[in-house]
Amino acid sequence: MGKKRERLEVIRDVLKAIRENRSIKPTRLLYASNLSPQMFKEYINELIEKKFIILEVNKKEKKYFSLTKKGYDFLEEYRSIENFIENFGL
Amino acid sequence: MDIYSFIIGNKEIFKLIYALIIIFVCFVIVLKTHRLFHLSAHPGIRYFRNAFFFYGIAFFIRYVLVLATGHVFLITPLFEFFIIMAGFFLLYSLIWKKIEGKEGSRSSLFSLRILIFYVMALILVILDISWSTLYLMFFSQIILFFIAAVISCVNYKNRAKSNNFSGFYFIAMILMLAAWILNSLTPTLFDWNPTALINIYLLNAIFFLVFLYGAVRITKY
Repeated sequence: MGKKRERLEVIRDVLKAIRENRSIKPTRLLYASNLSPQMFKEYINELIEKKFIILEVNKKEKKYFSLTKKGYDFLEEYRSIENFIENFGL
Repeated sequence: MDIYSFIIGNKEIFKLIYALIIIFVCFVIVLKTHRLFHLSAHPGIRYFRNAFFFYGIAFFIRYVLVLATGHVFLITPLFEFFIIMAGFFLLYSLIWKKIEGKEGSRSSLFSLRILIFYVMALILVILDISWSTLYLMFFSQIILFFIAAVISCVNYKNRAKSNNFSGFYFIAMILMLAAWILNSLTPTLFDWNPTALINIYLLNAIFFLVFLYGAVRITKY
């Protein structure tokens, strides 16, 4: 059994799943994130609240998530954040 | 004329340069870590950022405001308060996970735990004022940096393979511990010897420059 993912790793995985698909339906993202529905809801609410992702509705009334600029920035700088935490023992 | 005599002869200018360098270093570190915190909401980064924010304020008060206003009596307690708080934040950035859990608390400046630090810093400052000494500040920082040095040594041993900066972090903690020990001995053993004071300033400057080096190298933007 793999080790439990850190909070930042979960966020990275969710954002990466959205980026790889450009936009993604909630159900597909739930599967891709490998989280329980309850945890998924908590993370998604946090990511929307922090403006990392947005929930949009297309012409066919289908809901899908896409990344904001802040979400892209997070993924670009994830390595720096991870290194900083590791190197400074935070 | 040796370098020490030259510095002592122009001490006011050198003090100002020293303060401006440290304020600049703190400013850069706060900017870089604020951006990382803004993206990650990681409590450890937030406490680390707060430490250098408080160091920056302390050095601004101690050197720039004193030079500008000349009110040493009013400004010294303020400097002492911010320096003690900065030390607390730096240590707390290393141990917060064991106290708060991985999620952290909502505010890094006004939570109950941080309130304890404020109260402790305030008590130390008040006692130092009433006894007309700086010893409580010195001793609190010696204890604090001793603990931080032990933690960073453990971090260095555990993580040496995966990161390169933890060794520098440990060295920085040792330097600061040495600076505070020297500081506490200066009034008595060295009788405010200017050469000893210059060495303390040098150790302090190296401490801040090591952190600047780490922040710039790791963040790379």
